[in-house]
Amino acid sequence: MLGTVYTGFGYWDVSSWIAFFTIAAALVLWLRAQGREDYKEGTEQDEIYWSGNVVPEEGAEITVPASSAYWGFRKAMAPFYKILTGMHTGIGTDIVGYYVVVVALLAVFILL
Amino acid sequence: MNWNDHLPALLLAIPLFGAFVAPVASPFGRTTRNALLASFSFLTLLVSLFLLRHTLTNGIAVYVMGGESFDLTLPLGMKLPVRIIMEVDAFSAFMAVCGSIASFAGALFSMNYMEKFTGLGRFVSLYFLLTVGMLGMMITGDMFNFFVFLEISSIASIGLIAFWRDRPEAVEASIKYMLISQVSSMVFLIAAGALYGKYNVLNMAAMGALIKPGTLEKLALVFLVGTLAMKCGAFPLHMWLPDAYAEAPSGVSCLLVAVSQASLYGLMRVCFSLYGVNLGGAFIPWAMIVMGLSSMFFGVAMAVVQHDIKRLIGYHSVSQVGYMLLGLGVGMLVLTDARGMAEYGFTAIKGGIFHIFNYTMYKALLFLAAGAVYYTTGKRDLNELGGLARRMPFTTGMFVIAAAAISGLPPFNGFVSKLLIYESAFAVHPALTVVALVTSVLTLASFVKVFQTAFLGPERSAFATVREVPTAMLFGMGVLTLAVLVATLFPSWTLSYLVEPAARALVDQAGYVGAVMGGGL
Repeated sequence: MLGTVYTGFGYWDVSSWIAFFTIAAALVLWLRAQGREDYKEGTEQDEIYWSGNVVPEEGAEITVPASSAYWGFRKAMAPFYKILTGMHTGIGTDIVGYYVVVVALLAVFILL
Repeated sequence: MNWNDHLPALLLAIPLFGAFVAPVASPFGRTTRNALLASFSFLTLLVSLFLLRHTLTNGIAVYVMGGESFDLTLPLGMKLPVRIIMEVDAFSAFMAVCGSIASFAGALFSMNYMEKFTGLGRFVSLYFLLTVGMLGMMITGDMFNFFVFLEISSIASIGLIAFWRDRPEAVEASIKYMLISQVSSMVFLIAAGALYGKYNVLNMAAMGALIKPGTLEKLALVFLVGTLAMKCGAFPLHMWLPDAYAEAPSGVSCLLVAVSQASLYGLMRVCFSLYGVNLGGAFIPWAMIVMGLSSMFFGVAMAVVQHDIKRLIGYHSVSQVGYMLLGLGVGMLVLTDARGMAEYGFTAIKGGIFHIFNYTMYKALLFLAAGAVYYTTGKRDLNELGGLARRMPFTTGMFVIAAAAISGLPPFNGFVSKLLIYESAFAVHPALTVVALVTSVLTLASFVKVFQTAFLGPERSAFATVREVPTAMLFGMGVLTLAVLVATLFPSWTLSYLVEPAARALVDQAGYVGAVMGGGL
């Protein structure tokens, strides 16, 4: 019923992937069930371990903000991003300018 | 009277009627207004589904507006059609279904989401006008009529993007969209006028039968391609898009996704049905492929560094449009080469069309999920969000499904359409597939960032009172989640009954022309 998609070069069978995920999920749940249940709630046994430091009350203090995510990638690609973000001025005349230039270039190349 | 014959007219009449009734019904209160929004959107969806079934069973449906008979395209003594003719083949009907699902989901979501706004009668009116414009573009067979629907959708979009008129950013985004939209619409009109001046017809099928490659035709083609590529958000014509999608209310962003696909539909209709074998070489197909690759890569590159959730999703729209341009561009490249079309061209077109469906569903869902986050927290900046998964489990679940689908993770539907595009693009040149694969990796990276920063992590004290969004909003997201899951679990059914007939209709220029012209000319 789920069917196989033939691409002309290979195929995609969704049912085998669903079977794989079902087995993987069952395995994960089994592993989770092996955990100890005899810990004492409300003691240090169920506290978050945060490299031995005291866990701050406010969640925002222990999270990496989105603007810091992939910092290394952005640092390495800084010259590329300088050009790319520089293109996105948000100025109306620039937006129309890009349109005019692209249409003009297409017109020139199609007539060549 | 057989209602099935009048489905093309009904598809436009229902939302148009809704647009005019809305200001009258709105003073009767919130319940009446919401009932109108939901019921008319649902009726439109039903009609689009019936229309799809009708076209799959009976072939192309033509509907003559204002003629002596609805199916008489060429009255006695006429060599060319002069009336406005709606021409609905499997591709048009497929697009109408995609658009109607997004419209219905956006309508359900907007019922609660828009509560804080005033002037909601006008909102409902503009929302239905945008739906009419979108559906009209998808089913019209007339060049000037396409322009009219393009304008209707543009004007409604301008009003809806700026609907939160207290925010200067929303007004600014709307003005930018208005500027580029009007300039490009004039260029479209010049192209349509030039073709009309030369061939004396505005009907696309008749024009498709007459058109010959020449200087004027090539310039008109470039004008049409440039305008429609801008409207669907191809790089570097996309600059208006992130602002507009981010500032529009989320239910509207959801519908704008489908509206951009109406422009992509127009682009494909012009290239495949209007010009078809008269495209005049490989330049336009390669232009599509290059625009597709650059949209994919630069769109996702910009998305990775965003931290406003809606702008980030907006940049992903640019990136996803690239996949469709790549797939359809590869198909266009071998339009006159039967062997190439059989080996990989048709697969590419199927991949592109399947991606249209997938993209409309998961991207609309992502915008609604982002809207749900904003509705409950009042924030769009990812730096200020976190730990929402515990508070909003249903929204989180649906966001994860949409994020996995857009990233092309198996077994989700996005993977299937991308697989078809990867493999067929590889047959043209492996570099095309490499760019597409890198884009997919960056897409995943980007959505991992959103999921981790907005939904995971410790709870924040500012969100201690946050609760799951109201039921109607969940239903709106649920409709799209269901569509994503159906395409995920039944990919061969979706391809056989929805995508393949649409792809066959798109490449069948003779069939499109013949439905209006018969054996004429």
